[in-house]
Amino acid sequence: MSRQHIPTAAGAVFLLILGLFPFVYNGGDYDYVMHIIIIAFFYAILASSWSMLAGYAGQFSFGHMGFMGIGSYTTALLLHYIHFAPEPTSICTEFAIGGTYMIFVNPIGVTSTSLAQDCLRQAMDVWDGSVPVSDVPVWLGIVLGTIMGGVAGLLVGLLVLRLRAAYLALFTLGFAEILKATISAEIQITRGQAGLETPALFENGITLFGRVYSRTDKLPPYFVFFFLMLACLAVLWWLSRSKFGLFVRALREDQEAAAALGVNTTRYKVLVFVVTTSMAALAGAVQAHYVGIVTPNALFLLQMSLVVAMAVIGGVENFVAAAIGAILIQFVLELLRNSFTIGSVTIDMTIWRLVIFGIILMLTLRFTRNGLIAPIIEYFHRGHVAAETVAKRAAATDKDGVQG
Amino acid sequence: MEFSGFFWAAVFWMAGWGVIGSIALKRRYLHRDLDTSNTSMVGAFTGAAAGPFALIPLWIKTPRLTTRYIVLPVIATVVVFGLFFAKGDPGNICVTNGTFVASQFVNGLVIGIIYGFMALGLTLIFSILGIVSFAHGEFYMIGGMITYFITSVWLPGINPMIGVLGACVATFTLGAIFERMFLTPMYEGKIDRPVEYGILVTFGLAFTLQYFVQATAGANPVKAQRFLSFPRMGLPSSEDPWLMKTSRGSMELFESVTISSPRLTAALTCIFVLLALLYLLHRTWTGKALRAVSLDREAAAIAGINPDRMNMLAFALGGMIAALAGSLLVQAFSWLPQVGAIPAMRSFVIVVLGGLGSLPGAFFGGIIVGLVEAAGTGCVPDPQKAASYIPAYGMIVLTLTLLLRPTGLLGRKYASATHGQN
Repeated sequence: MSRQHIPTAAGAVFLLILGLFPFVYNGGDYDYVMHIIIIAFFYAILASSWSMLAGYAGQFSFGHMGFMGIGSYTTALLLHYIHFAPEPTSICTEFAIGGTYMIFVNPIGVTSTSLAQDCLRQAMDVWDGSVPVSDVPVWLGIVLGTIMGGVAGLLVGLLVLRLRAAYLALFTLGFAEILKATISAEIQITRGQAGLETPALFENGITLFGRVYSRTDKLPPYFVFFFLMLACLAVLWWLSRSKFGLFVRALREDQEAAAALGVNTTRYKVLVFVVTTSMAALAGAVQAHYVGIVTPNALFLLQMSLVVAMAVIGGVENFVAAAIGAILIQFVLELLRNSFTIGSVTIDMTIWRLVIFGIILMLTLRFTRNGLIAPIIEYFHRGHVAAETVAKRAAATDKDGVQG
Repeated sequence: MEFSGFFWAAVFWMAGWGVIGSIALKRRYLHRDLDTSNTSMVGAFTGAAAGPFALIPLWIKTPRLTTRYIVLPVIATVVVFGLFFAKGDPGNICVTNGTFVASQFVNGLVIGIIYGFMALGLTLIFSILGIVSFAHGEFYMIGGMITYFITSVWLPGINPMIGVLGACVATFTLGAIFERMFLTPMYEGKIDRPVEYGILVTFGLAFTLQYFVQATAGANPVKAQRFLSFPRMGLPSSEDPWLMKTSRGSMELFESVTISSPRLTAALTCIFVLLALLYLLHRTWTGKALRAVSLDREAAAIAGINPDRMNMLAFALGGMIAALAGSLLVQAFSWLPQVGAIPAMRSFVIVVLGGLGSLPGAFFGGIIVGLVEAAGTGCVPDPQKAASYIPAYGMIVLTLTLLLRPTGLLGRKYASATHGQN
């Protein structure tokens, strides 16, 4: 086996371990460990799609969590407000579709202080279980969430076409902030900080490999996220290898030059936004059903900082490295959670780990621009090519006396 | 209370004509081969203010769009919007209560001065280093925290000036060290794609600082005591104080406008420091060198100025300005490690509105944003929602600016540092 194949082989082994892990592992805290890995997959999707947007295309968007939030809130609102029943309630807004009625629940906000019930609840009290009420299927919510994320990405992408670097970062950051403010403020509809509850991914349980898993079991969502991550990475890989990848990298290096050489810059800039934001929205929608509740806190800047830091430490210009970085960092962050005491001083590691993490982020940026994991892959993959290029560049620099 | 349908119809009418105006006028001027740099803005505001009645004459005559054509439609738009608002919601406190309006206006102005001052630091950094510091909000937060700790925890009862000075010294040092360690390599060609590096590394600094403070100071809200208590008095006489009446924590002017002591002291200090800063920039060698670097790096270097030192000074000074704003406001608001995010966003909005790199622009932008926020929080019918939407008001201003006049009110077309804009 030549050196070039080592990363591929290592990746295959890594994936195999992750694929077999839930069956092999039987140590303590099974659910906890599985939860950590599921969240790691979630971050891996976000970090790799963000690295496509920021690292490949050079569009430094800090609104990625906003798009994720659009995905999760779309599916949560849809499942909360639309229901189907074979008989009309005659209290709610409803439409007849064939033999069933599509019922829109009226928004009543957080009801902890009053006994007001929404119209469907009242109707169900009258029916007393005689009429079966069904929800929108979870998969439809997730699909619509993904589409909504893509549409939002299209609109934002069109709006920020002329903006570059810092302007773009500021605008997208503001977009996410407004979204958060809106969701927190419109308590009537979104229930604000109280959050919207969502049904589980497999509400009625699922049978896998001859075993029945209940809705709280971690194994089905584990594989949902695992295959989602693989699918996203596959799409990104295919895109980066195609014309699309070449064009967006050209966009990053020099927009005018790319345009002059015939790249439709508008189209590819918007396209890269749509692709990556729908991935973020997909991750958000699935995560909403996994966690069981969506709150505006998920849109906090901390989450965005984590995604940025994961992508950067992994390697922002390599989405595979970003995904690996996300998984590893999620683990390290969990391991560092244990607080300890030195003499009389208690070190609260839940916070200090983030400080350490921030320092690592800055040092990574300063000393290894490509992150910590991407260079390892590069070294095996194309170390000889890189060495050659560097030597050529050094020779050229010496001749011209010009720095890059 | 909700807005009536009339108000929304009016808003829709204004927005519709604004969009039509900005697109149509730009095409018209392009067609006639005239200067199109201001057409979007003039078209949008003329359309919003007077609809087709003013757009058609503009369309036919296509005059040269001087400042007059920009300022008049903007004022007209604000007035027309106000009239529609009054008609749409006649019972609103902003329409019926003149005293409330005056009070909101003065408070918006006072807080706007502080906002503008904070944004000044950001624009100073941008004009010289060519990067936008994403850690600006964290400098603000740290300034407040240090002042709180000095005046209330470590040395209670000490003159608050010491606390403010301590915060300034600490953040100045921090800014200088950070610049030397992480930003100087940008200018030595050691880093490719410096703009992206600048964004990410300051973002990392923000992250680190925020959690550092949370780890050391805790996540409970703190608030410093007010620095200055007014002497109790009334003008012209204490029996009939129609001109001015003070209590310990606040001051009442003309029996209508109330300003609290923390805000007033903060705004006055900001004006004072601003004057000192202007003196520094325009009358001293260092200040002139700073401005020279912001105009042209290479030429300044040829003239014997060390641009790297100016970078360090600018970054440290910019961070210190944010910290000073924070240390003055820690007596007015309660303070958390996360408190920097919204002021940072607001500073970005102000800086873009005023023009990236323009010092007077930042100051006027701050006042505009302060007034817009005061109007937004005071006049939107549901006060709870109004408060939640505070960041959104700024973002509306930002979006309009980016769409209509990306260079900002007083912005230069190109920033000095070659990597600043692309």
